[in-house]
Amino acid sequence: MRRHLLLILTLLVLIPSLAILIVTGWGVVEHERAMKKIAESYVLDLAQSVAARVDRPRFMHRAQMMTSSRALDSFVLDVSLPGWVALVDESGNLLAASSRAQDVLPQIWQGGIPVGRTTLVEGPFGDTYTIAAIPTSQGWYVISAVSWSQLLGPMVRFSHLWPAAVGLLAIVGMCAVWAFWRWLIMPLLSLESEVSALKWGKDLPKPDDPPAVWELRRLRKVLYQLAQTAREREELRQRYVSDLVRVQEEERTKLAREIHDGPLQDVTALLQRILLLKQESWNERAEKYIEIAKESAVAAVRELRALCDTLSPPWLDLGLAQALTELTDRLARTYGVKIYLESSELPEVSKDIILAFFRITQEAINNAVKHGCAKNIWVKASYDGEFVVLQIEDDGSGFEFEGDVEALRVKGHRGIANMVERMRMIKGKIDVQSSSLEKGTTITCKVSFPFTGEETP
Amino acid sequence: MVIKVVLADDHPLTREGFKSYLEGKEDIKLVGEASDGESAWEVIKEQLPDVALIDIRMPGIDGVSLVRRVRQEGLNVACLMLTSYDAQQYVLASLRAGAKGYILKTASPEELLRAIEIVASQGVYLDKEVALAVEEPGFSPEQLSPREREVLLLAGRGESSKEIASKLFISERTVQTHLASIYDKLGARNKTEALLLALKYGVVTLEELLE
Repeated sequence: MRRHLLLILTLLVLIPSLAILIVTGWGVVEHERAMKKIAESYVLDLAQSVAARVDRPRFMHRAQMMTSSRALDSFVLDVSLPGWVALVDESGNLLAASSRAQDVLPQIWQGGIPVGRTTLVEGPFGDTYTIAAIPTSQGWYVISAVSWSQLLGPMVRFSHLWPAAVGLLAIVGMCAVWAFWRWLIMPLLSLESEVSALKWGKDLPKPDDPPAVWELRRLRKVLYQLAQTAREREELRQRYVSDLVRVQEEERTKLAREIHDGPLQDVTALLQRILLLKQESWNERAEKYIEIAKESAVAAVRELRALCDTLSPPWLDLGLAQALTELTDRLARTYGVKIYLESSELPEVSKDIILAFFRITQEAINNAVKHGCAKNIWVKASYDGEFVVLQIEDDGSGFEFEGDVEALRVKGHRGIANMVERMRMIKGKIDVQSSSLEKGTTITCKVSFPFTGEETP
Repeated sequence: MVIKVVLADDHPLTREGFKSYLEGKEDIKLVGEASDGESAWEVIKEQLPDVALIDIRMPGIDGVSLVRRVRQEGLNVACLMLTSYDAQQYVLASLRAGAKGYILKTASPEELLRAIEIVASQGVYLDKEVALAVEEPGFSPEQLSPREREVLLLAGRGESSKEIASKLFISERTVQTHLASIYDKLGARNKTEALLLALKYGVVTLEELLE
């Protein structure tokens, strides 16, 4: 009931209104017919009763005595009923008539009237008359007539007024339903569907809906402002995440550089001195210590170098193809998997793109080996004159991914979310295709180069 | 004959160390040193040494660019990279720029002297730590076919399989087959390694590789 309240309300008004309109229309027609029947039977009765009186011998006797035809009027007039009665002979001469009938009736029957039944006739003044002619035994005719406006006038008027009023009410009701539907229900439904399909923090609803009622327009405005706030907050959050990634990357680079220029060189210098010392002649014990010191220094150099590479490899400066080659060579060696790199005719892209593609490839290969147990990985970097495209494909077990990065992030899987973030930072697009049924994962990154200032479609 | 050497390294302590390595050697003479790329270029231009020991990472001009400049200017100076970077891509970048050798700063004095001698006599020296992952004593590579050599050289110049295929009018698949065979013959695990090993064994020459 509550679910369809608006529809029910609408129908509650609409159906009775329609029903009333139909019933009153039908009532008017029926009433008209009844009136006509009443008038007919009345006129017929009147004419027949006068004809019966004329046929009586007493009347005949009296009529023969009277020379003036007008004297018969009193007989005919002897009806104290509404309507007009007249007696005419076969040639149409008026023998007797009730008062005013002599003025009116001749005008009405001008066109001639059928005998023995009633007819509707339009009078000279726009009136409607029901008229009937009944023959008498003398060969005369009794004509009777009623004027609708006189006999039934008030009744007809009143019976017409009532349905008209009711019909008007019904029409007003339907107009109200239309307004209700057009200005309240439709805007409400569209607002509801718009808001329920809204990606909060990304989309905005329409700011205004002019046909809607004021309250709905107000509600829409408030929702619009809320969505705007959510979007601003989302932008802030994303900027915050971007800043985090950027600052982290800067810190890593700085740290790697400092390790390379500081401790790494110092330990190298230390190693040099140990190697120089080694050239002198020492007793056995001293030689042993020097050898240990040398081993330690060599180990320290290797560890520091590895640390630099982990933080931010210096070889990223060499270019995209070189960076990807070094990375895939190293990861293939570390994990013991096959990595096929295909990079062709790459332009000299910006450091940002190299860094993003490097980190994404690193993350993708790590994921493929650690989570997907992939044995073969294909990395492809290409350029078509407009976009630099990086594709990483593996034959691992894949995972269920429905495109919701945030959901993954919530679950603690930051890898994909980080890749998306990296691509967002260079205004590129990333597409992740994976399914545990199909096996394997394909990650495709695309960024326009040279940078046009517009986001990659 | 005495080999004239210039040393360019921005770290004073390691520079001192290398100087000590070269000290007292009769056939080697340090004729100049520099702590940044610009002054290294000046010293090299002025001294025209037989061998220039160049750090990749230096303030001003970096080592690889300096090597490229030496080659472009047509100076008869053998450049030997002396660096902390162990990335094979650096080795390749240096060799493509015209360096004759690549040695890590952790190398022993004996190794450094040997490297200087080799590059001074027009040889190629590659540090075993970066260029020889699977070095076995007495390993000698199987002869490459002329086609394989061609493929390896094109790959060494940085061309992709697709580009090599279109240049040699063969299919990409054939290129892959050739590469796999080359790796196998040289004992390499990837393209870079194959190239470095080929250089080391003299299968291809540095001149063929140059940009």
